[in-house]
Amino acid sequence: MNASLVGMLGAGAGFLLLLWLCAQAVERGWIPTRITRHPLIYALALGVYASAWAIHGSLELAATSGYGYLTYYLGMAGAFLLAPVLLVPIQRMVRTHQLASLADLFAFRYRSRWVGTLITLVSLLAVLPLLALQVQTMGNAIYLMTGVASPATLALFFCVLLALFDMSFVGRRRIDGQHDSLLAVMALSSLIKLLAMLGLGAFALFAVFEGPADVQAWLEGPGQAFQDSVTQTDPAHWRSLLLLFFAGLLMPHIFHLVFTETRSRHTLLQASWALPLFLLLMALPVPLILWAGQRLGISASLETAYLAFGLSDSIALQALAFLAGLAATSATTLLIALALSGMLVNHIFLVAHPPEAHHDLYRWLRWLRRGLVAAVVLGGWLFYRLIGVHHDLTSLGLAAFVGMAQCLPGLLALLYWPGANRRGMVSGLVVGLLVWLAGLWVPLLSDLPALIVIPPGLEMLNGEPAWYAVTLVSLASNALVLIVVSLATPTSDGERAAAEACSVDAVIRPKRLPLEVASGEEFKSPLARALGESVATREVDRALEDLGLSPQDGRPYALRRLRDRLQANLSGLMGPSVAQDIVDRYLPYRQDGPGATEDIHFVESRLEAYRSRLTGLARELDGLRRYHRRTLTRLPVGLCAFGEDGELLMWNDALARLSGIDGGGVVGARRESLPAPWDALLGHIIAEPGSQLYKQPVTLGDATHYLSLHKAALEGSDSEPGGMVILVEDHSEMKWLEDELVHAARLASIGQLAAGVAHEIGNPITGISSLAQNLRYEASDPEVLETTEQIQQLTDRVSRIVSSLVGFAHGGRHLAGRELAPVAIAEVVDEAIHLIHLARSGDDVHFDNRCPATAYVEGDGQRLLQVMVNLLGNARDASGPGDRVIIEATPEASGLRISVTDEGAGIDTSVRDHLFEPFTTTKPPGEGTGLGLPLVYSIVAEHHGSLDVDSPPPGAERGTRIGLWLPHHQKEGETPR
Amino acid sequence: MYAYRLMLFLVFIGYLLSPLMMNGWASPDVAWYRPFVIWGVLIALTLWLEQKRKLDER
Repeated sequence: MNASLVGMLGAGAGFLLLLWLCAQAVERGWIPTRITRHPLIYALALGVYASAWAIHGSLELAATSGYGYLTYYLGMAGAFLLAPVLLVPIQRMVRTHQLASLADLFAFRYRSRWVGTLITLVSLLAVLPLLALQVQTMGNAIYLMTGVASPATLALFFCVLLALFDMSFVGRRRIDGQHDSLLAVMALSSLIKLLAMLGLGAFALFAVFEGPADVQAWLEGPGQAFQDSVTQTDPAHWRSLLLLFFAGLLMPHIFHLVFTETRSRHTLLQASWALPLFLLLMALPVPLILWAGQRLGISASLETAYLAFGLSDSIALQALAFLAGLAATSATTLLIALALSGMLVNHIFLVAHPPEAHHDLYRWLRWLRRGLVAAVVLGGWLFYRLIGVHHDLTSLGLAAFVGMAQCLPGLLALLYWPGANRRGMVSGLVVGLLVWLAGLWVPLLSDLPALIVIPPGLEMLNGEPAWYAVTLVSLASNALVLIVVSLATPTSDGERAAAEACSVDAVIRPKRLPLEVASGEEFKSPLARALGESVATREVDRALEDLGLSPQDGRPYALRRLRDRLQANLSGLMGPSVAQDIVDRYLPYRQDGPGATEDIHFVESRLEAYRSRLTGLARELDGLRRYHRRTLTRLPVGLCAFGEDGELLMWNDALARLSGIDGGGVVGARRESLPAPWDALLGHIIAEPGSQLYKQPVTLGDATHYLSLHKAALEGSDSEPGGMVILVEDHSEMKWLEDELVHAARLASIGQLAAGVAHEIGNPITGISSLAQNLRYEASDPEVLETTEQIQQLTDRVSRIVSSLVGFAHGGRHLAGRELAPVAIAEVVDEAIHLIHLARSGDDVHFDNRCPATAYVEGDGQRLLQVMVNLLGNARDASGPGDRVIIEATPEASGLRISVTDEGAGIDTSVRDHLFEPFTTTKPPGEGTGLGLPLVYSIVAEHHGSLDVDSPPPGAERGTRIGLWLPHHQKEGETPR
Repeated sequence: MYAYRLMLFLVFIGYLLSPLMMNGWASPDVAWYRPFVIWGVLIALTLWLEQKRKLDER
């Protein structure tokens, strides 16, 4: 080997620089996110599983166990084949509760910070041999290439370089979020090692051999001797290896990448075929390199693990082998250091020293993690030095995987057995851990023989390899103790709730409890005592933004969601145990409130979100639930429901339309905080001893509605929530119809009264008129004559009015048989204005008669005068001082269009529809009878005309325009318009 | 979901029977690349299941 040390270190530094530039390019957006977030990038990043074991250890295992080396790849591929039933449920849990590591998941499920600490320690102990394996292979590879110094010294150089790189990487990443740059760096490393391995494989296949057929010929010929020396893996060993590598999923770095960095369920499912394909391509060159080495006869002079370096004297090929190992080692070490440092911070440092309002919590955490990252990398070197270099890669790797597999029983119980409890899990784990430490881990550090306790009944394990016996004994005892202790000891309520949340068939029944704080904004102050003001403000704002809530939202439902979100976010920052402690301590539930009831609305929203995942009976039941829900939501009658604690649980569409209040904004609020008048109205019906309230007048918008309310209690039981359901019916229309009936009856009475009055007044008036006429004949004094003429005019007018009253009472029969004459509308308007002024009112209103003198209609002049007096009187009453009332007439083909336009206050929309009906008035009580416009309508209808109202008139901001259309004289037999 | 249960069953059966296959692979009469071909077929099956899932959820 002829490479220089400086050249090798330069190559290593250059490679790390390439990774750094890749991270930089992703963070600065130089690479489009559609590339960096592509599912295949994620699948490639998962290739970090193929560590130095895949490059060097597999060669060693293939040489001794033949195809047994495939178990390393097939175990993990099997885990991903089961992604939909195994990985997706864990991913869902991890995302829902913002869990960042296996320790977080265990601490969350088994409700103890010490469980998190224990899992962290197990992970630390288990990954140390794996880290040592990485360090050892790199030290040996550089030594093979350069031949200077010693592997241990070279490995130290490499570790220092790697620690600096990893520390700088921590400083550049967000400490609490997902990281495109990390995935990109992992994917780039995987791509490089894959290409390097394929290159080595291709060299072996086509340069050492002459293609696949030549390989087969060699295997059946000269290679047969090598094949005969291989000890075929025992079936039981094979299965155990598969199980161990399957449990590689629990390694801190793999768990972190698979569950914390994954973007979606879809991404994970894509990896279910992409990662096995990657591993297939990584595994394929291994036997080719091995056989090529054996054919070239270098296996005698070179350690099997490093055969790739001896395939050729070409520096390029050796660099390819070095690059494959470098890419695998640096990516694995980086990710282990990052994942493990997070676990150490959350489950050891923060548990020992809870954060007490650090000046800058983020900065403190970042520096702590930097230090821990360096410590983990250098700890790997130290462990490598402690164990010496006499262990083969297989022993190191298996020691790590057997150790990590001790968490497997606890994880399976977490997913599939809600009955498992903390005592059972911890007891089982400790027993398994002790067996593993005594049998595999401690012997790595010394030359002492492995201490393997074979329990009675498992004597057949005597004589088996240590790793196999330890795996079987540790896992069997671990699982057995977990089951027995869990069954024998009680489980706390909190643990049971967490078990349900973690179970694959989770039935999540969140409780509804009131909080002490009253709004989102108020979360900041108590949290600041734990996190410092700036961090508390940032975390609360972030949680509010995540949920799309306003800081002023005081709905108990929204506050509970905000609390849950804050806990989840803080869990991502400092682990679930510390996060739960902080939230429980500083954002407690009220102790004086009503007892906990189920949060139906939240359960329903979660069911909606998980709908696509339901199958079988659950899906059918959900379909039924949705049908009933839709029935209530679309019910054409207003409906709302309250929980036992007065929290609003439902507000259907009809009620939303009636009230103008969107259900999404009020569901989860207390009844008292509903907008007026609903708070008082619903409070009234709830407090009412009876179950109904009829026709309650309520002002909604500008109109008065009459609402009838009915209530029914939802009787609660042990398993069903109680509360109250209220129906709200709008009876405004019915009330109006009833009023109409009353009005019609009044109208009939007035008609009868008018007829009587007409009869009783008619005779005296006739007498007065006759007497006045007599006086006129007998008098000669001009003054008396004028007076008698006026008396006659006024009695004529009284007679006509009485006649009109009778006509109104008898529905316009008074026009029958009367001849209509042409009427000059301008004169009628002038006379009406004159009469209005006679009433000594409206002097400050300017009437503008713009009717042309030539505009005539056929009709009864006196009746039309009544129409004009009424219309102008109304216009005057509506106008303010100085306003104008304009009367215009426009001849049309078959009639005349007359309009009276004022600049007054206008007519309310609710009144406009009933304007021409009797007793409808906009005037104050006592000032209007509500008979004026009905009379106008009646007279116009007698003339076969029509009326319309614009308020405000088109193009104006205020005022009213009454349009009047009167036809020309209709001859007999002509159809009126 | 039913397809996933089938997958779970097949993977478990594969786990139990895989040592038998391995013994076959070690035989000199068998082409050296056969394990990789079988593995490739399994990946193709998973890919097909994944495509089917995407169509089902569309």
